[in-house]
Amino acid sequence: MIKALGYFLEIIRGSIITTRHFVVNMHFHFMKLFRIKTKRKGAVTIQYPEEKREIATRHRSLHRLMTNKDGKPRCVACMLCVTVCPSECIYVEAAEDPDLEVQKYPSTFIIDLSRCCFCGFCVEACPEDAIRMDTGQIEFAEYSREDLIYNLEKLIG
Amino acid sequence: MIKIFIDEKAIEVEKSTTILKAAEQAGIDIPHLCYHPAFPPEGTCRMCLVEIEGLPSLELACSTQVKDGMKVSTKSERVIEARKGVLEFLLAEHPPDCPICDKAGECSLQDYYEEYGQFENQFNEFKEKREKKVKIGKNLIRDMERCILCRRCVRFLKEVTKTQELGVFERGIHSEINILDGVLVDNNYSGNLAEICPVGAMTDSDFRFKTRTWFLKKGESICPLCSRGCSIFIEYHEGFSRFTLPKRVYRIRSRENHKVNGFWICDIGRYGYSYIDENRIDKIIVNNKEGGETITWEKMVILLAEKIKRLYYIKKTSRIALILNTWLSNEELFLINKIFRNDLSVENIYFTDPPEGEEDDLLLTSERSPNKRGAREIGLDLKPINLETLADKTDLLLIFGSFMFDQFNLAEIKSALDNIKMKIIFATHSNEMNSLVDIVLPMSLIAEKEGSLTNVDGIVQRFSPVLMAQGECQPEWKVLVNLAKELEINFRYYSQFSSPEAILDEMGKKISFFEKKSE
Repeated sequence: MIKALGYFLEIIRGSIITTRHFVVNMHFHFMKLFRIKTKRKGAVTIQYPEEKREIATRHRSLHRLMTNKDGKPRCVACMLCVTVCPSECIYVEAAEDPDLEVQKYPSTFIIDLSRCCFCGFCVEACPEDAIRMDTGQIEFAEYSREDLIYNLEKLIG
Repeated sequence: MIKIFIDEKAIEVEKSTTILKAAEQAGIDIPHLCYHPAFPPEGTCRMCLVEIEGLPSLELACSTQVKDGMKVSTKSERVIEARKGVLEFLLAEHPPDCPICDKAGECSLQDYYEEYGQFENQFNEFKEKREKKVKIGKNLIRDMERCILCRRCVRFLKEVTKTQELGVFERGIHSEINILDGVLVDNNYSGNLAEICPVGAMTDSDFRFKTRTWFLKKGESICPLCSRGCSIFIEYHEGFSRFTLPKRVYRIRSRENHKVNGFWICDIGRYGYSYIDENRIDKIIVNNKEGGETITWEKMVILLAEKIKRLYYIKKTSRIALILNTWLSNEELFLINKIFRNDLSVENIYFTDPPEGEEDDLLLTSERSPNKRGAREIGLDLKPINLETLADKTDLLLIFGSFMFDQFNLAEIKSALDNIKMKIIFATHSNEMNSLVDIVLPMSLIAEKEGSLTNVDGIVQRFSPVLMAQGECQPEWKVLVNLAKELEINFRYYSQFSSPEAILDEMGKKISFFEKKSE
């Protein structure tokens, strides 16, 4: 009996909080409408695409491949990202580098973004810090699936 | 037999075995890098140190022979400490470039580091800089930074091929494995060097950077490229779900088999794997018919059986001719012999094989097909083709394989085949031969089917499929069994053959050579 009463008390408390938020937000919203208090934001809803929230520094967004000073990709084609990728969306082909000091370089590097689950494992696995997910680009919808397959040029540029 | 104790486990071994071999028999793993079972112990790497009760210093397991009542411990604190020390010195010059090293994943040094290493670097000095890629052989690239000077390669060339192209030059920290006067390692067994190198110092330019070792699956098979029939591992990539790979098979490695090839295989077998993936056909092709009409295997077999039956009823089976090859397994040749020679009394059975090549005194034989001995033991006469008589006497021609090309040119074959009413080829690859015949049937390769082969010494070796047959490809034995059943001459006899194993059992009963040899 007392337990059931407790539930009801919680429900009532919850609705009070909701109502308070509603009233406060509506108050500031109307104030803003009448140009009285414009600094404080009214409703909590963000007017996306016009308004955008700041992305956290630890976010994961579209991949990019880092380059060395000479413009070549930093990737050494070790294929650890291919190995670790849980959705098998990375494909790398290695080729012998003509430079005697360098072993191999990626002749193809493809990420199929239509399949990527943005887990960030590739970034963690990379021994050369060659792949990063810090571009801040989170909007890259395309009309066809083929356009979501990013190659080396697209990933560097 | 003497009794010794390794890690307090009593083991009975032969008298002159070494501790390492005795431990191997008992299932205890002692780390080793320079020791290879094919060569006498060398003791250069010092990884196999073990503690023997009563002896003040640690001893090498690879070269110390067992004594009665010897008590060996392989996991004591002193031994582990010694292993760590040895590893630290090995890694003093060995670069930690596993991500770009081809050996990563199957490297002994990498495995031992995971188990005994993971220490802080105590060296103040930088690692010595050396040549990273130098071509020292036909397919070999040497990386001197990674070399741990185990001398396996030197010993291989000294003891197995006896060519001695490689040696250790200079001394101390400057010592390096090198060739003399720029003479490259160019013998038919050089591919084994990359395989026995315990680290990534010797890499195979054929496999180099194509993929990583952990993507590959391996299956046991038999090399069909000469009549030695070496035991091999076929290493293949299963592919990614979203990306198509250029090929399935990435490399061939040797499989230990002391009856046939020991530890090694030749370069012809090692690098000649491209036929498995290149130019294959995977559909039944019916020429001389409008439109791409498709036909199923069941219909195809019925059609073929009807053609043969028609000739059989008018007693004209002598107008059937067969062109075989010795890439066919024992079972398939036995079935052909049974169906066509015994049941249908076909006499025109010819053989075409790849032309003979070089041979050497180690493994490679001159016969470039795996089952010549088997065909002879079954009782088939390896008659070469006579194109003129073939053209005159034949109404129905069954061709297995396209090795006719090695003997005759296209025009000769075309003019001979034009006179024959019905020509069917059992082919694995697409080539010009396929346009000359009426029906092309896609066949599985030895890597994709089950069966057995008889090698040049008369050893019958069974093999099982490693790769999946692609498309409509079927093994010859299956088609032949279905055909024999459809012919209805001896239905009950052929319906017992549900697998090549059953055929081999039957062969053992019929042919004394195959008795008890079906292993």
